[in-house]
Amino acid sequence: MTSDVLWLFLRKEFRDLRASPQVWPGYFILPLVAIGLPAVFLLLFPTDVSALGRDHDLAWLLQVATNEPSLARYPQAQRLGRLVIRDFAAFYLLLPIVLSSMSAALSIVLEKQQRTLEPILATPVTDRDLILAKLVAATVPAVTLTALTGGVGAMLHAGISAARYGAPFLPEVPLVVVLVLLAPAMGCAAALMGMRVSARAPDVPSAVQMSGLMVVPAGLVLAGLVGRPAASNAAVGLISALLVGLLAWWLFRGNVRRFQRELLLTRWGRAG
Amino acid sequence: MIRLESLTRRFGQRTVVNALSFEVPTGQLCAVLGPNGAGKTTTVRMLLGLIPPTAGRAQVAGITVPGEAAERSAVRRRCGLLTETPGFYDRVSAWDNLVLFGRLYGLSDDRLRAGIERHLRFMELWSRKDDPVATFSKGMKQRLALVRAILHDPEVVFFDEPTSGLDPASARDVRTLIANLRREGRTILVCTHNLTEAEELADLVAVIRTSLLAFGAPAELTAPHASAEVLVRLEGGADGLIAALRARPQVLEAAPHKDGLAVTLEDWRRDTPALVADLVGLGARVLEVRPRRTTLEQVYLEAVGRESP
Repeated sequence: MTSDVLWLFLRKEFRDLRASPQVWPGYFILPLVAIGLPAVFLLLFPTDVSALGRDHDLAWLLQVATNEPSLARYPQAQRLGRLVIRDFAAFYLLLPIVLSSMSAALSIVLEKQQRTLEPILATPVTDRDLILAKLVAATVPAVTLTALTGGVGAMLHAGISAARYGAPFLPEVPLVVVLVLLAPAMGCAAALMGMRVSARAPDVPSAVQMSGLMVVPAGLVLAGLVGRPAASNAAVGLISALLVGLLAWWLFRGNVRRFQRELLLTRWGRAG
Repeated sequence: MIRLESLTRRFGQRTVVNALSFEVPTGQLCAVLGPNGAGKTTTVRMLLGLIPPTAGRAQVAGITVPGEAAERSAVRRRCGLLTETPGFYDRVSAWDNLVLFGRLYGLSDDRLRAGIERHLRFMELWSRKDDPVATFSKGMKQRLALVRAILHDPEVVFFDEPTSGLDPASARDVRTLIANLRREGRTILVCTHNLTEAEELADLVAVIRTSLLAFGAPAELTAPHASAEVLVRLEGGADGLIAALRARPQVLEAAPHKDGLAVTLEDWRRDTPALVADLVGLGARVLEVRPRRTTLEQVYLEAVGRESP
């Protein structure tokens, strides 16, 4: 598979994306939430920690922040804000999971609907290369958006924290690990699961529903489990990225093994 | 060359293709005729290695199918396919669509660009190369699909209903292009319902309905039987001739026909010279004598009808 074939598949996916307004909300809302909610908290939290005692919930959050060993090196006033930024790291995992799995869920069934599947399968392209191209096309936009969201969020949060706390909350190493390693691995795993759904779905709405009901919840559980620990500890992030990467590799090999041109052409197509 | 040897495909209990055997020599065009569900598309898919046969095998461009993955890939590299519906990425330009497929066929940059330009110019689509395919008419899409099918210079080309749904002018253009491909020496298999198309293009015709019902050159299939009707075009009327002809022992029947006579002979090949001599002897001015040939449509309907459930 040459790089320009991957590039052409990517360009096609971008054009499909641009022409599918129904999927745009996911590309806007999730980044806005990932960037906006921590910014709102940073803006609204009182900088005077002693004032927090009057609010039971905030006092509990402060207690959690105070007891978090990895935040112990920061002044008490900054811990709550830093905790919130860290906890929202799970959103950086949600983005690639939701967006790449949705995109991948359409990857094969949409080809079938557009009648492009048979001309593609009739080329000498190998199953492995075809799945790789679909994987890259589904994952790259989601992972790129995640990295952009992380970058913009980091700058905005640093700016707000510098203004309010007198010190910018720069991204910590674990968050960088989440963005650079764990999020792409999650995106790949979710995309490969989405592709399995796409190969079995009879039509586009079914593919979207099946992905929404099966792949996304599984991804969310995984993100919920590893998001916070990974954003707190770089080693946990690295190990999580490695494990999810292995899961993605296993899924990739399974997808290649299970990819049957015959079933794709005959399951719902005409066989006359 | 395409050779099918007892090629069979079953889907569960249903046999879609049953022991299909025929051969299309290199450089010839074979039209595969059959009603919907006759197994035409499945046959093409088996020949391209997209669907494995349940039994039997085939040779396509010197490669045996079904084979290993590498052989199936090699068959696809040497073959082109025009599907019934063109199947393009509608939001992508014609150029980018062709580049994508050309790359999947492993074409180098130079060869790909030169090939796309040459074929698009020939198909009169060059000026539209940067337009999204969604803006193309069905005929233009079909011509573009034809470019895609031959871009990698395949030895064998499969056409699945190439003129289905096209207006007469577009259909004629596509037929001309297919005829050009045959002249270039490619081996071509055309699945079609269109009997005129088959008669016009084909060196060989295979009528299938799950099994092979008839196979041969159109002239062979439509050739009259030994006992056949001969049409005689005359200058002037046929008055007086019919009774005289009926008296001849080799004439089974004689009747008036548009511009002349229709005469049924015992053996048209043996008896036609004598008939002409008799007519001239009777004073008739003979302009043309020809056997009434069976049309491909009659051959097809007879073959398919004979096998109707």
